[in-house]
Amino acid sequence: MQMNKLRGKSSSILLMSVLSLALLAGCGGNSNSANKENAAVKESNNGGDTAQSNNTGTEEKTGLDTSKKVELQFYMLGDAPKDLSSIESQINKMAEEDLNATVKFNYTTWTDWDQKYKLLLSSGQSIDLIFTADWTQYQAYAKKGAFLAIDDLLPKAAPALQQFVPQDMWEAVKIDGKIYTVPATYKEYVTNGFVWREDLRKKYNLPQPTDLASYEAYMEGIKKNEPKMSPASFNSDVRGNLHDVYTTLNAMVGSPLPYGIGIKYSDPAKAYLYWGSEEHKEELLTMRRWQEKGLISKNVLNVKDTIQAPIIAGKAASIFGDNPTRFNDTLMKVKAAHPDWELGYYPYGKTIGYATPVHPIHNGFAIPKGSKNPERALAFYEKMVLDKRYNQLTQYGVEGKNYKIDANGYYELIGDASTNGFTREGMNGWAWRNPEFMIFDKSYDGVKEIFADLDKIQKPDIFTGFAEDYTSYQAEKAALEQVEKQYLYPLQAGLVEDVDAGLVTFMEKAKQAGLEKIQAEYIKQWDAYAQEKGL
Amino acid sequence: MQIQKDKYTRMLHAIAYVVILGLSVACLLPFLLIISASLTSNESIIRDGYHLIPGQFSLEGYKTVFIFPDEVLRAYTVTIVTTVVGTALGLFFMTMSGYVLARKDFKYRNTFSFYIYFTTLFGGGLVPWYIMITKYLGLLDSYAVLVLPGLMTPFLIILMKNFVKSAVPEELFDSGKMDGAGDFRIYWQIVLKLSMPGIATVGLFLALYYWNDWFTSSLFINDTHKYQLQFYLYNVINSAQFIAQMGAGTGVSLATEVPAESTKMAMAIVVNGPILFLYPFVQRYFVKGLTIGAVKG
Repeated sequence: MQMNKLRGKSSSILLMSVLSLALLAGCGGNSNSANKENAAVKESNNGGDTAQSNNTGTEEKTGLDTSKKVELQFYMLGDAPKDLSSIESQINKMAEEDLNATVKFNYTTWTDWDQKYKLLLSSGQSIDLIFTADWTQYQAYAKKGAFLAIDDLLPKAAPALQQFVPQDMWEAVKIDGKIYTVPATYKEYVTNGFVWREDLRKKYNLPQPTDLASYEAYMEGIKKNEPKMSPASFNSDVRGNLHDVYTTLNAMVGSPLPYGIGIKYSDPAKAYLYWGSEEHKEELLTMRRWQEKGLISKNVLNVKDTIQAPIIAGKAASIFGDNPTRFNDTLMKVKAAHPDWELGYYPYGKTIGYATPVHPIHNGFAIPKGSKNPERALAFYEKMVLDKRYNQLTQYGVEGKNYKIDANGYYELIGDASTNGFTREGMNGWAWRNPEFMIFDKSYDGVKEIFADLDKIQKPDIFTGFAEDYTSYQAEKAALEQVEKQYLYPLQAGLVEDVDAGLVTFMEKAKQAGLEKIQAEYIKQWDAYAQEKGL
Repeated sequence: MQIQKDKYTRMLHAIAYVVILGLSVACLLPFLLIISASLTSNESIIRDGYHLIPGQFSLEGYKTVFIFPDEVLRAYTVTIVTTVVGTALGLFFMTMSGYVLARKDFKYRNTFSFYIYFTTLFGGGLVPWYIMITKYLGLLDSYAVLVLPGLMTPFLIILMKNFVKSAVPEELFDSGKMDGAGDFRIYWQIVLKLSMPGIATVGLFLALYYWNDWFTSSLFINDTHKYQLQFYLYNVINSAQFIAQMGAGTGVSLATEVPAESTKMAMAIVVNGPILFLYPFVQRYFVKGLTIGAVKG
């Protein structure tokens, strides 16, 4: 008896001590990291001071203290090219001479890249340069303070780069009045367009897709004449390849727009509620009609392939919307596999009357807060963009080994993608493209043609500069995402027989998840942005 | 005269055979489907879907997997080495701790058991774990990170402890001591010999863990040369999924070729092959090891 009691007591004491220990450890960890952060900030401040004093001490040449040798940590998304290590050592040789720095190129791989990206930025690891884009949530991370503001660093560490990037681009990437990323200056369009099998269209004398109605007619024609073929290629990401494409075609700004908000390009100051509106119902009814006519497959939510693969294999006859560059990729592959097939392309820009080139936020490089050498990092990045040797080496590899330039100045890969260790833009260096140094593949002429066409009707992207701050509705946001997957996706794929009832259920569930709060807050933020930018 | 089996026993046998046959077919079919798909030409898969008998026979998938034999082989080597080293070290540590925790004369065994048990209930979560390994232990991009995290799995330690407890009578410790054996000798020559089934079970669990592990590579390895096989292949496949997800809006075009369906299936076969052979060899220990270990106390 006595023993048992004692044991009970001691074990409860043990439990309590462990729990309190855990608590303490938790707090300790926090304060520790906070201290670290402060220290890092202090350090970087100190670094700045010494650099400045050096600057006045010696002369106004570089404004950069390169006396201490550093290794920069450079982070890119995706997979590393096979020849990376040899490229890295060549770059390092130059960088050591120029900046007394070496660089380590790191890659996240495409596997769970968003989770890794988050870990890299939230763990306070010392990273000196990291890729940013609107689709990696640059705006949100900048707002949360993950990156270093480089306004004051630029003139000191990378004056030439500051000159090189046009002022309005610097303005466009500002978040709360501060610059957090170096934008890329190459102008491209990633706007959508119809892709279809031109040879089949001619064969059956079908209309050319130029808008929603003619596209539908084309698909129906395929369905009738080629019953074994899918009229269009869709996959499980119905939001991406049905809804977003559909709304773009309806001149919606910045689609994908989250949370069922609607903003029209013609009247951007007025954000309205798209979900549940007549316009939304029309979209869902259209999809239902397509489903009934057999234009969308019944198991679309289970298709995990890329949209392009069935086109190349001859299983599907069109893509609802794809951007010019990827259309060109598909075209090359189709030409290689089936020389007698033809593909057509019609950019939505022509349908809706305008096209927006990518926003400067779309491709960039930032310096995370944890960086130990922000100045050297920026100076190095300047080299990557403006020094032809650095730039072409990291974009195209070694001339003569990885690629050659033909008589007409076109880029040509030596061997093929599987044998060559460094394909064109193999380092995924979309962000440090420099239009002056770029060399294009012959096949890229088609894309350039489309771009030239779109240039005539270009209008600025007014949406991407907007930085959403979802801290106040994070929980609702997560809940809403679940609801969307469960109730909206089937509607968007036209799988729900009774569209009206389905929409009512979805709206109900969405409201339970906190839709109204999210929308109100989002619109408030958008209004503030629209006012600030004078939209 | 042969003893006639009674009617019910025979019926029972018949039913049992049918059920087991059905279950094994159900288990085998998907596997056969993968084998067949890995031998089908990619276009035929996209057009006609998967079939049990290849529509258009082709070795293209395997050719693609082994187009860079050095890379696949390197990943193979990393996986084999981490599996062997991890399993050996892990077994040593876990049998050791199992043995120590099973000895009644170890004063702090309850405390230690509790600490180990506690970690199965509460963990820090992903971010603290990541920070711990990258910032404090500095294991980013090292081979050690592939082996260390799996060495002390609380569940397996508990399993081992219970196994040692039930397989080795306590009196053996005393008698060993009397005959002049030290603690380590008792562990090495008596405990280990008697807990073979437990070791086989834990060993198989560990080997499977190391062989199938891709998450550690995914988080902590940047250097492509240090990828484990699972992650290497998983990553190649994921590129396709990435494009499928990103939609048309990003303009990201991947320079590398996206693997085709048949390639994915060939990869699955290549990855799973070797570990399949491991199972039959340890299987006979398996049932015994698990059931005894399952009795907690």
